Amino acid sequence: MFWKRTPTRSREYSESIINTVREPLITLDQDLRVVSVSRSFYEVFKVKPEETVGQLIYDLGNKQWDIPKLRELLETILPQKTTFDNYEVEHDFATIGRRVMLLNARQIKRILGKERVILLAIEDITARREIENGLEKARKELEVIKQSEDEAREYSESIINTIREPLIALDQDLRVVSVSRSFYEVFKVKPEETVGQLIYDLGNKQWDIPKLRELLETILPQKTTFDNYEVEHDFTTIGRRIMLLNARQIKRALGKERVILLAIEDITARREIEIGLEKAHEELKELAAELKRTALVKSEFLANMSHELRTPLNSINGFSEVLYDETFGPLNEKQKQYVNNVLVSGKHLLLLINQILDMAKVEAGKMKLALSSLPMKSILNDISMLVADMVSKKKIEMLLEIAEDLPDIEADELKVKEIIYNLLSNAVKFTPEGGKIGMQAKKAGSEIEVVVWDTGIGIAPENMGKIFEGFFRVDTPYCQVTEGTGLGLPLSKKLVELHGGKLSVESAGLGKGTSVRFTLPIVSRKAV
Amino acid sequence: MKKKALVVDDNASNLMLEKDLLEVGEFEVFQAENAASGITIARREKPDIIIMDVRLPDMRGTEAAMILHQDKETSDIPIVFVTASVMAGGMEEIENIPNSGFIGKPINTRTFAKEISQFIK
Repeated sequence: MFWKRTPTRSREYSESIINTVREPLITLDQDLRVVSVSRSFYEVFKVKPEETVGQLIYDLGNKQWDIPKLRELLETILPQKTTFDNYEVEHDFATIGRRVMLLNARQIKRILGKERVILLAIEDITARREIENGLEKARKELEVIKQSEDEAREYSESIINTIREPLIALDQDLRVVSVSRSFYEVFKVKPEETVGQLIYDLGNKQWDIPKLRELLETILPQKTTFDNYEVEHDFTTIGRRIMLLNARQIKRALGKERVILLAIEDITARREIEIGLEKAHEELKELAAELKRTALVKSEFLANMSHELRTPLNSINGFSEVLYDETFGPLNEKQKQYVNNVLVSGKHLLLLINQILDMAKVEAGKMKLALSSLPMKSILNDISMLVADMVSKKKIEMLLEIAEDLPDIEADELKVKEIIYNLLSNAVKFTPEGGKIGMQAKKAGSEIEVVVWDTGIGIAPENMGKIFEGFFRVDTPYCQVTEGTGLGLPLSKKLVELHGGKLSVESAGLGKGTSVRFTLPIVSRKAV
Repeated sequence: MKKKALVVDDNASNLMLEKDLLEVGEFEVFQAENAASGITIARREKPDIIIMDVRLPDMRGTEAAMILHQDKETSDIPIVFVTASVMAGGMEEIENIPNSGFIGKPINTRTFAKEISQFIK
């Protein structure tokens, strides 16, 4: 019982309090030497009893306690006021690190003696301060979150109004709470006849759709959500629509009622496109098969055509050649002239057939290259000799500039010769008497570059696009060209490209000459 | 003695041209307008060379060639296909026939007989 306590018991009691409280407690005498210390003091401040009692407080723990603020409190404030409360002292202890302490002191008379004793309670509030700091931080964060929650709501509302997809919010009774702007636009209903209405009643009961009823009344209550239900419905105002329905049953943010969020995607157009695409795909497949058949028929046709044309040409050219050679008796001059005309025309026809077939082969990807190492310098010279006759007949000057270091190239000999012959003979054909033609050839990196030029009739800018089409020919007052097939240039371009080179044509215009430039790789990039 | 040549071609005009050119080239020439009569003449005359078209009315010239090759009496006679089928497919068919050669149409009348002679061993 408290009131029956003896002085001794009372001291024991006060000491037991001192030792029970979690808060470190220290008793000092008038000289500020430690009289006694609570167990928790040792624990909290990591000092030992033997180096504590009897010591000057400032000397504790290797003078770690020599804290200016503590000196001020004990030596200046306490003698005047006999008490102080909740003085906060922050100190960096060598052993236990930075601590925040709350100091409370009482200057009291000792119960059993007359000396004054200072009771100093030291509360280590480091952790509490940390918690407080943390709490403050958390509070600030919460504020930010709260703010962003408001923003989020505003944001989500703006989403509802921004998205293209019509969105409708219903209450538990399936009455419209709110509707996105796009809903009005897509389904042609007015706000005043929408909000507060039963969904089925919208737009003169157009929304009374059995499938929708099933979804909202049967499926949603069980599953609280459904995804991508396809509903087809014939609306009186907007016609047949295919819709994709997605729904969520959610608790309203600000109340406790349930809200159904229903997203309605009008996929009518998409479905139409899909159906159209499927149809187009089928058509394409048929077309591809048809094309394959056509390609086969075409190549068979070309083979047959080649055979059927060559057979009579064998007679035409053969007999006219035998006649011209007068193998079976002499012809008069007129007869010889005529039979020569037949022969020249027959040979022209043969060239035409060969070129058409070559074009077709290249286009069908069936032209094969027979690669070998070609001595280009001598080939260019040889071909120029072939046209030399025509050149001198027309009194044309021919200039050859073939680089000394022009390398051999890996290519198909017959085709390269054909390309060069085609270009040179074109230059001769399209250059009037007294003009000039020429050929330049040089190494250009990993390729050779050949330019065949003339001062002839040139090409009008508007015809530049047509020259590779085939059978394009220019008739000019001073050069009526009849001997060409009109396929030489387009075929040459194709043959150059087949080798991995490029062919281009330049002309300053009609009457201003032409120059054809082509390249061929020195080492073929084509597999043999 | 003149070398014997058999020309098999269903086109009368071409047949005549080849026959005339070979005769000018000092050949004794036999002619056939289809494979069957060509085979008959080949067995009877044992020519030194056969000039054969590929597209014949009764069978492919290449089939006729195989028949002649499998016959001991005619297996050594070289056959030169003179054909207007110069496109890839036509060439492959010919390449598979042993002891044979090829000349494309239209022929070069100035060298034809000489070319044919070169196929005779």
